[in-house]
Amino acid sequence: MKLELRKLLHTLNALNELSLEINSTHDFDEVIRASLHTCLGTLAIPKGAIARFSENPRQLKIVAAKGISGAVGQKIELGRDEAEKIAGRAKPIKLQAERNGLSHFVRRNTETFKKLRAHLIVPMTVHGDLQGAIYLAEKISGDDFSKDDLEVIHTIAQHIGLAFYNHRLIVSLKRKAEENRRLYREMKLVYHDIVKAFGSAIDLKDAYTKGHSDRVARYSEAIAKEMGVTGEELEHISVAGYLHDIGKITVDRSIINNPRPLTDREYKELNKHPAAGYEILANIRQPWQEIAYMTKCHHERIDGTGYPQGLSGEQIPLGSRIVTFADSFDAMMTDRPYRARLPLDKALNDLERNTNSQFDAKVVTAFCRILLKEITGATRERVFMPMIGLKFDRQAILEKLHDMASKLDALQANSATPS
Amino acid sequence: MTAADVKARIVGGAAVLYPGAYLNRLKGEVLENRCQEFLIKGVRRLVINFEETELINSIGISILLGVIEAVNAANGILLLSNLNDSNRELFEMLGLLSHIQIEESEQMALAKLSVSA
Repeated sequence: MKLELRKLLHTLNALNELSLEINSTHDFDEVIRASLHTCLGTLAIPKGAIARFSENPRQLKIVAAKGISGAVGQKIELGRDEAEKIAGRAKPIKLQAERNGLSHFVRRNTETFKKLRAHLIVPMTVHGDLQGAIYLAEKISGDDFSKDDLEVIHTIAQHIGLAFYNHRLIVSLKRKAEENRRLYREMKLVYHDIVKAFGSAIDLKDAYTKGHSDRVARYSEAIAKEMGVTGEELEHISVAGYLHDIGKITVDRSIINNPRPLTDREYKELNKHPAAGYEILANIRQPWQEIAYMTKCHHERIDGTGYPQGLSGEQIPLGSRIVTFADSFDAMMTDRPYRARLPLDKALNDLERNTNSQFDAKVVTAFCRILLKEITGATRERVFMPMIGLKFDRQAILEKLHDMASKLDALQANSATPS
Repeated sequence: MTAADVKARIVGGAAVLYPGAYLNRLKGEVLENRCQEFLIKGVRRLVINFEETELINSIGISILLGVIEAVNAANGILLLSNLNDSNRELFEMLGLLSHIQIEESEQMALAKLSVSA
């Protein structure tokens, strides 16, 4: 094979390998080390180094070196003019022959260049901006660098310069993305605080429901988790728990706090609150629309006899079915103007009796499982225990919960079996 | 043996290394490390047998230059053997032939090092 063709193939192969390395997902320091090897191996240069340019402080700092001990980390300070001149040159600079504008820079750093065995400095630029420089010793053959050699080195330097440029961009993007994530996390905290504040404001309207929205949110979240809900959907269900009664701010306080049985007119007024809540929340942009609709449906019943739309079964969003249950359980376990709180066994009987009419069986099953785990100590979570306290017949309640859970499981298994 | 391994053996006090089919970064770094290990153990005569080596890329050349310098720095002797035409042309083109001794075969290299196989 002719020598010229051999050289061309070797160079093309080197450029191809350099491109592959630069575009690889390897650690960036490793990419630069490999790029230096490629550059040195292309022209059989035994020693060399690659320096990265930084604007502040304005310097070239060696990040990879071969054949020169102690070179990595060495810095060469640059004046503003020098950085611009080096970038403007854009071609390899022969140190010994330098007479054109950079002679002061070369003289000032003679000792450093000697230590680095530098014979050539090859600027790496992108869009006219200095990215770094390659310091190269003489070729092992001792031959001078030919015009073709300098062209090859210049091309390799531009490739490596582009790698630096892209790396800077990626690092900058990563920083911005991290900053955005931090802002988003903070915004979410504020958002949750506002949601909680709204929940407290709603509860203040009713003398008997202090903490109700907070508890419904926590119960709903626990049940949803038990049912395998995760991520944003879980978060939405929790928020719907806080805000399910937001429509009550449109209902007259005298109706909400009325200790006597409500009149038909008063019931009609009170029952407007799910739709009113939807109206309040629906104008807020995503992801709240889903939450608004969960709020609207929290008085729907699984058998279709609820309000405001008379939806049934899975027409009712899962979040609403969960909030409905949590809302009712909390109502049973707290004193109301018209009755005292129910004992746990009676509450469980009521919940069981209303399963598949008011409540979704899957939701009730999930509740039973959580309560079993909390009572037996199988979990450290204490979501329902603070409300139910310790004054109940532990054995009887455990039996009841086991019984409910197994019956509901069997019921759901049967309904899932194709006929 | 994994793809990155470099076979090596000691023959009469000299180390013979076999870089395999493709001397690239992966193989080059292993070759360099193995040479360093031999030098540390006091082995000063080394042969790299390129019989199975079809290709040597730029990184392979760069690492090989490092090996040559390391052996020289340790006052050792490094011989290359069994180079195919293509790799010999590459070494010639890069001006390596004046810095490294090349022998036709491993036996000839060992003989040159005064080692009986």
